[in-house]
Amino acid sequence: MSYLFFPGCSLDGTAKDFRRSTLAVAAKLGLELPELRDWICCGSTAAHSTDPLLADALPAKSLSAAGGNTVAVACAACYSRLKTANHHIAGDAVLRARVARVVGADYDGGTPVLHLLEILCRDIGRARIAQTIIRPLVGLRVVCYYGCLLARPPEITNFDDAENPTLMDQLMETAGATPLDWPNKTECCGAAFSITEASIVLELTNQILSMAQAAGADCIATACPLCQLNLDMRQRDIERKFGRRYNLPVFYFTQLLGLAMGCSSSELSLASLVVEPQGLLESKGIGR
Amino acid sequence: MIAATIEIGDVGGALAAEVKTRSGASPMSCYQCSKCSSGCPVAFRADLKPHELVRMVQMDQREVVLASRFIWECTSCQTCITRCPQKVDIAAMNDALRAMSRAAGKVAPETTVPVFNDVFLSSVRSRGRVYELGLMAAYKLRTGRLLEDADKAPMMLSKSKLPPLGPRVRGRAQRQGMFRRAAEGGDK
Repeated sequence: MSYLFFPGCSLDGTAKDFRRSTLAVAAKLGLELPELRDWICCGSTAAHSTDPLLADALPAKSLSAAGGNTVAVACAACYSRLKTANHHIAGDAVLRARVARVVGADYDGGTPVLHLLEILCRDIGRARIAQTIIRPLVGLRVVCYYGCLLARPPEITNFDDAENPTLMDQLMETAGATPLDWPNKTECCGAAFSITEASIVLELTNQILSMAQAAGADCIATACPLCQLNLDMRQRDIERKFGRRYNLPVFYFTQLLGLAMGCSSSELSLASLVVEPQGLLESKGIGR
Repeated sequence: MIAATIEIGDVGGALAAEVKTRSGASPMSCYQCSKCSSGCPVAFRADLKPHELVRMVQMDQREVVLASRFIWECTSCQTCITRCPQKVDIAAMNDALRAMSRAAGKVAPETTVPVFNDVFLSSVRSRGRVYELGLMAAYKLRTGRLLEDADKAPMMLSKSKLPPLGPRVRGRAQRQGMFRRAAEGGDK
């Protein structure tokens, strides 16, 4: 099985561990993820809040180079921007013509875009994944945090239930962990306000971490570079500001899946996590 | 089952009409149920909550709307549009209002989001991708917020989260053309 991989900018930097763990899991499954050649940034929030036409043109430039192949995305923000541009361009002939003039080539909005969670759960399937689980995460209580942009708005992403997605929970169950029911799966972490107005992020991540703790979680699983960074890196600032200490490791779901498949800590870049998970993993008999 | 939305056409002032043309959102369809504000993650600190902002647009309050802090504090989380019974796309409306606010010189003085957006897009234009370390440095220099989160860069470097060298995708001249044509509206 093969998809063209659109890693997105974060996976070359702050989320290098997401890239490494994705490729490690893919290798265990025989899933090929050649990188989409010369992909450019999706434009993220900066583009759509500055110039809506540019926000559709940047994804169109990358997607038109996919030659009709399905594109696989790891970052929830890239996923949202690529799917939104497809939705806009495929549904509006006038906009399609304007985007074509901006990009310099016509694009019909038809390149299929899938998130890794969709590929793993729907295309590969839990039965096949279960065959690769050699070190099940028994006793690990995990809350799955989807963030905003995978499931919303459902008319565009068509990902899963918008209020109660379960794809990541299903994978964690397959990996032998215990996914917990909790109400903050799709609450916003504050995203890029981490740079421009950190007080928003501290308030929102404190609520999410607080609910994860109340649910009895040992750790959090994420599928977005900004969500992971905000929930992980801001725990020290939250302690300073609100006097609450969580010490909750925040993994990419691919890191937890990779552990269950027998990948090493270094293959999964566990050392990049700010809240160190080694103590937790050893206490559950998972760490090496 | 989702009930059919009520389309409201020939009502409203110039602001509502401009917002609709620019964003496709239909502010006049809002009947003030305030479900958006109930789910909005930043409503707790907003000078105008989402349903209040829409009401101000309906009432043609251009000055208040374009100067509001909320349009810059919206996280684009899409909760409002997902839950709105009338499908008023407040997130898209805010995108349009941000551009209008900048064009009118009404940007709320507290926000640095436009600076962030500019340095972000400038990295995309020249490199094709975002160079995170360069982006943070440029943002700090432009805003003078040099000491804020000063502990983060060393920590991120030690965790291999910030490669010192930035990415560079070929086709810079072509990208600059794309940015220019997009700013001109893609009409030629």
